[in-house]
Amino acid sequence: MSAVTFSGVEKSFGSVAALRSLDLAVPDHAFLALLGPSGCGKTTALRILAGLELPTAGKVSIGDRDVTRLQPRDRDIAMVFQSYALYPHMTVYDNIRYPLRIRNMSESECRKKVTDVAATLEIGHLLDRFPRQLSGGQRQRIALARAIVRDPAAFLMDEPLSNLDARLRMTMRGEIKRLCHSLGTTTLYVTHDQAEALTMADLVAVMRDGVLQQVAPPAEIYDQPANRFVATFVGVPPMNVLPVEFGRDGIQVAGGVLGLSDDRRTACLKAGVSDVGIRPEDVELVAPNQPNALNGEVYVVEPMGNETLVDVRVSTGRLVVRTRRGFTAAIGSAAGVAFDTHNACFFDAQGLTRVHRAPSKGGE
Amino acid sequence: MSVVARLSANVRRQGEGLDLALPYLLLAPAVLFAFAVLVYPIWDGIRASTMSYRYGKAVGWVGFDNYTRLWSDPQFLNALWVTVSFVALAVAFETVLGLALALFCANEFRGVRLLRGILIIPMVITPVVVAIVFRLIYASDAGMLTVVSQSLGGGPVEILGHPARAFLGLVALDVWEWTPLEFLILLAGIQSLPVEPFEAARVDGASPWRVLLDHTLPMLKPVLAIAIVLRTIDAFGTFDQVFVLTRGGPGEATKLLSIYGYDTAFKFQDTGYAAALFVTMGLLILAAALAAVRIMKGMTPP
Repeated sequence: MSAVTFSGVEKSFGSVAALRSLDLAVPDHAFLALLGPSGCGKTTALRILAGLELPTAGKVSIGDRDVTRLQPRDRDIAMVFQSYALYPHMTVYDNIRYPLRIRNMSESECRKKVTDVAATLEIGHLLDRFPRQLSGGQRQRIALARAIVRDPAAFLMDEPLSNLDARLRMTMRGEIKRLCHSLGTTTLYVTHDQAEALTMADLVAVMRDGVLQQVAPPAEIYDQPANRFVATFVGVPPMNVLPVEFGRDGIQVAGGVLGLSDDRRTACLKAGVSDVGIRPEDVELVAPNQPNALNGEVYVVEPMGNETLVDVRVSTGRLVVRTRRGFTAAIGSAAGVAFDTHNACFFDAQGLTRVHRAPSKGGE
Repeated sequence: MSVVARLSANVRRQGEGLDLALPYLLLAPAVLFAFAVLVYPIWDGIRASTMSYRYGKAVGWVGFDNYTRLWSDPQFLNALWVTVSFVALAVAFETVLGLALALFCANEFRGVRLLRGILIIPMVITPVVVAIVFRLIYASDAGMLTVVSQSLGGGPVEILGHPARAFLGLVALDVWEWTPLEFLILLAGIQSLPVEPFEAARVDGASPWRVLLDHTLPMLKPVLAIAIVLRTIDAFGTFDQVFVLTRGGPGEATKLLSIYGYDTAFKFQDTGYAAALFVTMGLLILAAALAAVRIMKGMTPP
């Protein structure tokens, strides 16, 4: 078990830059999720750590070993692939045993380890089958078993749940989290699913176009996004972002005036803030034409069972409001929306967050 | 008339009239052709193998006499032995060489496309032309081998006049000409393998050698079996190269079943006996192919 460090790692495929100077440190025992849309370079970063790709520049280390030019087999890592990458010609038992056999472990020791791992993952009854006889979820477990059967310095997981159906994905999410927690092995987990990243990881690294945007614990990613991209990429539905103007008192958003504390206002003006961001759950619906609210029109109402999402069009964009279950409103009816600007964050023209959401007030 | 009724008046129902006969009508030409060029000749060959011939004319029915005669004919047994050893040796070399070349050419590197193209060439040259070229190489008086040997201060090289060397010379020719076929089939097989298990094996700790033994070969088994069966069937029937190079000589060192059967039929005009020989040869190939398919099925995991 060891920390993993990328220092100035770059990778280009021909003229396409997949990674631009990635600096990322994963502490020992940590579970880090690399999160980003497809093509953002997260899988490339993982494959460079695995040794399946060589970086164009930079250095990769595991613990205090520089592994940048090492063969995958000399890096002491285990990897779970998106397609599971099981060995089709081997039984489940032989698949799981393979990493041990390659290390010349004795047959009795192999048998013991494989049986133990199979028991942990509840796949003991599948050991004599071939991969093609198994369901996606079962194959997924075999791939996990093959990774954890030995004790590697780090686990690498490349979207391991993306080929499973939604229900199974949620179950496996919890299981992998528990498993990694109990093993305590440093884990890099690539995903485009923010729910996986937020629920499973100790640290989330958000990437976009080969550039690392922010590394932070999940709550911080959600509450204190470093920039507009992180703010709108993380969260379902995403954060609402609207242009903002600073009037004599408070701020003007889409024709409405909202109050803003003096210190936050000063900070905003100093930083040249141009947009305000607010999470759907921090917005409330009010009657139209109220003071300290914006006026808009109900575009669509989406009942989700446990809550209702209301999409409100205002003059400069749209706002999604998360409200109570059972809420109804006619499409096209007038609506007012209001929010406490303490819960908002403010972006400058480059999209950087200049004023963060205020720490939640006591008693709220 | 309602719209529905008007529509249904024009609708033809399935399985009536021409619908039933059409498939058979369309198949008929192909079936007739197959009968004319495949089924009838095979039947006629089997019939001939049960007849006794004199001066090329059938003179009487002899039942299975021609077949029983084969197994006490030392020339036939020799030809069978020569053929089996020729096939085994040639196919073994071709498979190993083809596999090595395919593994090498499955990598992407500069010029690999050109190399793949060049490696195919021997296969597409007319077999008789290949045989003539090899005769020019092997000729003991002014052949290429002799010329090279003499320029190095050696004597003339005798290939086709020496039993063992003539046999190996033929094997070499076959390997040169047909390794490309194995190469082509195996290359296609290697390129169709999934990529991820190989990456997984590298991460799991396997060296390139172990990847080859533990993954490439096992996953390639079905393709390997097809390549071997195809070449075996084809090599059994080798005729033209031997006919051009040695005609079965010296002595009977290169007398394959095909050559012996040809001699029997056309030199000695013993048509019935030759027919029995070729029918037997066909059955042997069929048995070998069926056995190979069996083995193939057993090797593929369920």
